[in-house]
Amino acid sequence: MNNRPKGSAALWRIIAGAASLATLLLLFGFAYAVNDVLNPAAPAPAPGAPALDGQQPLLGSKEELKIVAIGDSLTKGTGDATGQGYVRRVVTGLAQKMDSQVKLVNNLAINGLRTEQLIDKLQHDTGMKYALKQADLILFTIGGNDLSKLAQTALRSDSANPDFGVEEIGKQLQDGLGRLDQVFKLVNEANPDAQIVYVGLYNPFYPIPELREGSLQVQKWNDEAYRLSFSYPHMKLVPVFDLFEDPGGTYLASDRFHPNGEGYAHIAERIVQMLH
Amino acid sequence: MSNLLPLIQNETLKIWKKKRFFVILLILAILIPIFTYAQMRMAENNKDKFADWRSQIIQQIADYQNALTSDRIPEEWKKYRRIMVQQLTYYLENDVDPSAPNAVTFTRGFMNNAVTLFIPLLVLSIGSDLISGERSSGTIKMLLTRPVRRWKILFAKLVALIFYISLTIISTLILCYAISGIFFGYGGWNLPVFTGFVINGAEVDSSGVHAVPHWLYIMMQAGLAWFSAVIVGLLSMMVSVLVRSTAASIVTMMATIIAGTILSNMASAWDTAKYIFSVNLQLTGYLDGSPPPIEGMTMLFSIGVLGVWGLIALIISFGVFTKQDILN
Repeated sequence: MNNRPKGSAALWRIIAGAASLATLLLLFGFAYAVNDVLNPAAPAPAPGAPALDGQQPLLGSKEELKIVAIGDSLTKGTGDATGQGYVRRVVTGLAQKMDSQVKLVNNLAINGLRTEQLIDKLQHDTGMKYALKQADLILFTIGGNDLSKLAQTALRSDSANPDFGVEEIGKQLQDGLGRLDQVFKLVNEANPDAQIVYVGLYNPFYPIPELREGSLQVQKWNDEAYRLSFSYPHMKLVPVFDLFEDPGGTYLASDRFHPNGEGYAHIAERIVQMLH
Repeated sequence: MSNLLPLIQNETLKIWKKKRFFVILLILAILIPIFTYAQMRMAENNKDKFADWRSQIIQQIADYQNALTSDRIPEEWKKYRRIMVQQLTYYLENDVDPSAPNAVTFTRGFMNNAVTLFIPLLVLSIGSDLISGERSSGTIKMLLTRPVRRWKILFAKLVALIFYISLTIISTLILCYAISGIFFGYGGWNLPVFTGFVINGAEVDSSGVHAVPHWLYIMMQAGLAWFSAVIVGLLSMMVSVLVRSTAASIVTMMATIIAGTILSNMASAWDTAKYIFSVNLQLTGYLDGSPPPIEGMTMLFSIGVLGVWGLIALIISFGVFTKQDILN
């Protein structure tokens, strides 16, 4: 085997050298990784630890209107077959009306969100705070799930739990409104300069005669919400309940709870109308 | 011992002359630009839509949370999303962009995805040919009539195989970095990456999380990928000893590896599947804290399972190769 041509001996040396080096390097990496997982180093303080609270959002050209949407499934756009919801429609509507750049920074709405969950997010979710801080316009809906949960408990209680009467409903409604007050306060604190739009509630069960009375509770909520919003100079409440007071449920999606595309289009219209 | 080194030299050069390694490099050189381009399109798309990376992460978290509220999504998938939400929140709160577009991030992502399927396939192209190649070309008789012990021949082949596995992994890294750097820039070596997320069910324990610089993270990742690749190499050598033709040996190995990837995607309810070697190949997942394919698997467990498979493959290969009759 010693009578190989010289070239192949050189080739062998190169391959063997490179390969041994590579093997050693990879062995080191492997050993380091195993060691790192088994004995994690003391958690070093995060590199550039400034939390997002302290971050000043990059305010781009002010010609651009930045929108952030938070809240529940209404803001998410559930029920709209086109997936636009009212938020995207407001974006296009405003862009046309104001003839300027309108950008949706984030739509952070989450299906099924209730007031207490939104309060928790507004207090602890740094991401949401960061997004809100960038906004020139904040759109939000909340409370629908609180009320529908209340309605469901009330319905079931008729037979199972006779104590759950009018008084209890009234009390829970008051609790919910107390939380709404807190939501308003937190949103305003998160960004005191932004224009804030709260979309009022509607009674999705209006088409069902036995549940039509729920509209009265909804109206109580909207009334109180208007009173709460009144003290914030940048805040507006947009009423939409009348759109859904139709026995045929024209603007309701197939789930008979959320608006359909047309319903969202009308909600968006109203928001665009009142913004200047 | 003295005649071992020339044997290794012989085997190493044999593989080199067969040009298998060039094919591997060629495949990498063609595929990496394609992935780079796809990645670039995605980055451009995100740049249009989001003000900065934070908005993007915030939106991603909201999307995951929405998926969590849907009753239509299986509990298993929700668990994965819960984990993702907690990790992304951790990155956000520490103000570190987990996917800053640069060549190093691309290399990390590529390795992470290549470790279960792509790299094993490249390894197979060399390993499956080791013995069965000699058989189909008839050179095995020449090899075995030499006055050298059979185990030494197999050992020399094994060392050569490991050489090429190491070279394959390092070339993957270098090519990834070199090619993607053209588009993303060559920076990012010292950006922090978080590792040490411990997953308990759907909860992430971040008490042990610490930041490592990107270059060290890639070293760790490559080391783990190398271990997986070596085990695949050992198994393919065993199959190559047992099976007569190279094609059959490649197909056998490929089937088991692909079965493993499918299983790890769907069989999380079948607990025993975690002892199959190909379910354990994704060692790099333990670094970034992605949930294991089957609950309860840890890095040590996977390394153990792979190690046992490798050992068995070695015993069978040497046992059979030294005793086997060579006919025809």
